[in-house]
Amino acid sequence: MSVIRLPMLPGSEKIPWKASINGKLISKPIESNAILLDVLRDQVGTLGVKRGCDMGTCGCCSVLIDGKPKLSCLVLAQEVSESEITTVEGLADGHHLHPIQEMFGEYGGSQCGFCTPGFLVVISALLEENPTPNDSEIKNAIEGNLCRCTGYQQIVDSVRAASELLNSGNTVSNSTEPKSNPNPGFDE
Amino acid sequence: MSEKEKKEMVGYRQQPGKIPFSRPGSGGKSPFSEPRDEEMIPESQGGKKNQPWGGHRHDKLITGRVVGKSTSLVDSKWKVTGRAKYGDDIRLPNELIGKIVRSPHHYARVLSIDLSKALDLPGVISIATGDDAKNKFGVLPVTKDEHAMAVDRVRHIGDLVACVAAEDEGTALEAVRLINVEYEILESIHDMKDGLNDSEKPIHDRGEYHIGEANVQKRVFQEFGNIDSMQENAIASHKNNWFFNGVNHAATEPHAVVADWDPSGRLTLYTPQQVPHYVHRALADVLEIPMHQINVHRTFVGGGFGGKSDPFPHEMCASILARKSGRPVRITFDREEVYWINRGRHPSHIEMNLHADEKGRLCGIETDALIDGGAFASFGHVTTYYNGVLHTAPYEIGAFHYTGARVWTNKPASGAMRGHGAVNSRCAVEVGIDDLSEQLQVDPISFRLANLLPPNSATITGFRVTSIGMRECLERVMEESDWKNKFRKMPLGHGIGIGCGFFISGSGLPIHWDPNKFPHATVHLKIDMDGGVTVHTGAADIGQGSDTVVAQSVAEVLGLPLDMIRIKSRETDTSPVDLGSYSSRVTFMNANAAISAAMKIREDLLNATSEITDSPIEKLVIGDRRIFRKDDPAVGVSYLEALHKAQEERGALVASGAYRTPPMGRAHKGAAAGLAPAYSFSAYVAEVKVDVETGQTKVEKVWAAHDCGKALNPLAVKGQIIGSCHMGMGQVLSEEMRYGRTGNLMNTDLLDYKIPSVHEMPEVTPIIVESNDPEGPFGAKEAGEGPLLPILPAVCNAVYDAIGVRSNELPITPDRLYKNIEKKCRKLKIDDPMDLPSPRLEYSELQEILEKRSQEHSIRDRDRRLKSDIKPYHNGALFGMDPTIPPDEVDESWKVTVIPSEEYLESPRLAGSAWLHTERRKRGE
Repeated sequence: MSVIRLPMLPGSEKIPWKASINGKLISKPIESNAILLDVLRDQVGTLGVKRGCDMGTCGCCSVLIDGKPKLSCLVLAQEVSESEITTVEGLADGHHLHPIQEMFGEYGGSQCGFCTPGFLVVISALLEENPTPNDSEIKNAIEGNLCRCTGYQQIVDSVRAASELLNSGNTVSNSTEPKSNPNPGFDE
Repeated sequence: MSEKEKKEMVGYRQQPGKIPFSRPGSGGKSPFSEPRDEEMIPESQGGKKNQPWGGHRHDKLITGRVVGKSTSLVDSKWKVTGRAKYGDDIRLPNELIGKIVRSPHHYARVLSIDLSKALDLPGVISIATGDDAKNKFGVLPVTKDEHAMAVDRVRHIGDLVACVAAEDEGTALEAVRLINVEYEILESIHDMKDGLNDSEKPIHDRGEYHIGEANVQKRVFQEFGNIDSMQENAIASHKNNWFFNGVNHAATEPHAVVADWDPSGRLTLYTPQQVPHYVHRALADVLEIPMHQINVHRTFVGGGFGGKSDPFPHEMCASILARKSGRPVRITFDREEVYWINRGRHPSHIEMNLHADEKGRLCGIETDALIDGGAFASFGHVTTYYNGVLHTAPYEIGAFHYTGARVWTNKPASGAMRGHGAVNSRCAVEVGIDDLSEQLQVDPISFRLANLLPPNSATITGFRVTSIGMRECLERVMEESDWKNKFRKMPLGHGIGIGCGFFISGSGLPIHWDPNKFPHATVHLKIDMDGGVTVHTGAADIGQGSDTVVAQSVAEVLGLPLDMIRIKSRETDTSPVDLGSYSSRVTFMNANAAISAAMKIREDLLNATSEITDSPIEKLVIGDRRIFRKDDPAVGVSYLEALHKAQEERGALVASGAYRTPPMGRAHKGAAAGLAPAYSFSAYVAEVKVDVETGQTKVEKVWAAHDCGKALNPLAVKGQIIGSCHMGMGQVLSEEMRYGRTGNLMNTDLLDYKIPSVHEMPEVTPIIVESNDPEGPFGAKEAGEGPLLPILPAVCNAVYDAIGVRSNELPITPDRLYKNIEKKCRKLKIDDPMDLPSPRLEYSELQEILEKRSQEHSIRDRDRRLKSDIKPYHNGALFGMDPTIPPDEVDESWKVTVIPSEEYLESPRLAGSAWLHTERRKRGE
């Protein structure tokens, strides 16, 4: 209940904080009790990190901290000062999507898309550690993420496909590629 | 210059000797048009696509491009890169943070609100209370009973009392704490049965329409068919009293809204809404400004499932605060607040009685449903009907009795949730049929197959049913699950069960019923010289892929790749009115509207091509970005050439298309509830493992067949089927809104409200059945809600098959199931539950009769599908009535009644007792 919440007036003192976020060094003064999720969303502007429950149950706020998936709603920002943080915005390489991003679209791993960023960072860490996960390894990796739309099956399909793509050595499509020409010729 | 060269140069004259310039709009990849994929072109148009059930009115529009192919959602790239903006991701410069003061009491009168301390807090910019907006609103025009914030009374814990806008979240929360509200506590109601009684202070007052002095919000009585003789004729009867706990949508995105009152005096509301149009209307009512001064901007929606389809008080609050402060205001819910606003599935007491006669026919369904509406009406009017009328198909029935009542209690309001109103009572019906089959000693699938309504028929309540793929659904799941070798044959603890579903594909009567015959869905197309098609639609993509379906429909008709279609569906300023994403109406209605708009553009393009190539229109076909002669594909023009020709003297091509349901149904009171232009059907088989020593149930496998008419995007249809299994499995095994002894909601978070994780999910085999609906776009029907219905009864029936124990309260949590196992053990005088006998089936003579009838019906259905039999078919024919005439017109014992008789009122059932009250206006006071 909001009415019985403890006072949360901003403290007067701020502490310096810096971290490498998606490869970019960010330094901001933050409140000492600031939660990483709030810092990422409200100050850094990585709005791809989603807030679903505030208590570590849904996994929407997952980010990679030094390569390990963590729930940013349960992390004090100052704990991870000087760390390398990767959010969903940091998964693509320029206009080349990460294989799991590409496959999420293709295999229906994403419907409403709200839980998607959390799944993607967790899966990218899985694939980094284990490029050929089996079904139970995939399920164990995403057990902390809730999805209300897909029933997970198409997410697991996407991971399998991403793993194949990753190991095939093929690159994913570049989103800046030219699109269809409305004035095609006729080729017999 | 030769004649041929002249033709090629129409529109773009080149100076002799200069390099030819490309047409504006050219460029890009794939320089050659792909040949038509004959496998995708229907037989009726000379292609190779099989059409076992005949043609469709949209066949001639098929270009074989995208429809029917698995297509990733057109907005998926935005979602996977984190660039999709949901409610709370809208950050406007100079924004304020809004927070809501909520009631700590179940039911109380607000005596005073002291804002002084909060107003003195630095950083607080504006505060609003119920006095700022006294107009009522609500999603249904007949039951507007909500205020932006409490006026006079609060009606449940978490009801809105006031709201604050401050510079930052901390200040806003502190201001909320400093607002002092004085309440006079009123006696609250928590048990829905109490809502049926007269009360000193009903939760709402409906004036002359108030029913008694009770808390009955809506009551329904319906009797159709041979009511008087159904019990006499029965040789087997099933009676069960169910209790279904309430469940919440638990969409991953909590509600959020941003209101921005701009300097020109217009309001823009950014909100993740399923139904922007109703918010638009409600805002105009509450804020007392005309609709044209409001722009409702639908953000990406992080899951709806019905939970974001009402106009909400917090949307009003943000707008009021933005008006007061002159700055944008953002309000975001925490997870707990999502449960306070709720609108989830109604907690329900359902008494379900079914009767079968000696021929194995369903001679009667008697349903009595008391549903707990919580503190507000929401969609409740409709829910009350749906709990009954949506189980009048797919089976042919001899009699249908339904009494339903929805009561107000001091709980967060129930509303529409995936499978609206149909889920609980469908579960009760399907479990009942399982029990009847057991009593009759027949296979439950055979029983169902021998009692199906045929295609192009009318249900007992007069719903027009066009395409039915029910028979195929049942046959497919029976085959794929190896049913014959498993049912009643597996060892203790292992079971298999069947359940079916029937759901509307759009509602026949729009909620905002206008005498002016406004369409249900409208789509505008605009194509300028660049060749890209801009589609303006008001349909809300909530993740189900409605943007993709509308893009596919347009692309298919115009023969274009999807990347040339741009969907603008976000803002009411630029989108035509669409009634929103509910009732599984979007694919059906919006794609129909899109097709009708695209047909107009298609006609323009064909005319232009005909002019350029000197060919009659009938000889032309549309292929991949090219329009050409069917008999000589070399003669033709590119899409862009045809387009530029069509644009001469006129500029951009624009077209508008709309869809409105045809007139349907009967005339009795409530006849429109449940009426739809098409219905979806589904049959699921679930295989479960039950631990008899702990009561733990695990669903291992599900075979899920769903008749969606035609899968425009099979990937999305499968996603909907599997996702529905997930949500239904939650309701049947783990999800419930738990209210404590004093009426407090105890699990307002995702830790205690248990939605299935990846480990609980079974392996689902989605089976798409295509019945080719005559009215649907390219034959399609819905796939969003119907697939949820069968999973509940399939699991319930599988649990019975596994251990011989039935539960009548959902969810079947281990503790509940174990209590029932203990009870059964006591009854059978068994010490160890491991000694429980698993149910076995020995066929009676009836089995053969049913199989024979189902074979006969199979032929009947085929003839009706192929239109070799086009006579009308009314429910009742199975019972010896003339199928071509509504039975009530020929037989006096065949009832159509919507008011209870005095005889009934002498001993009404639970919900039926709502009819013991008299409406105030009829009391003659």
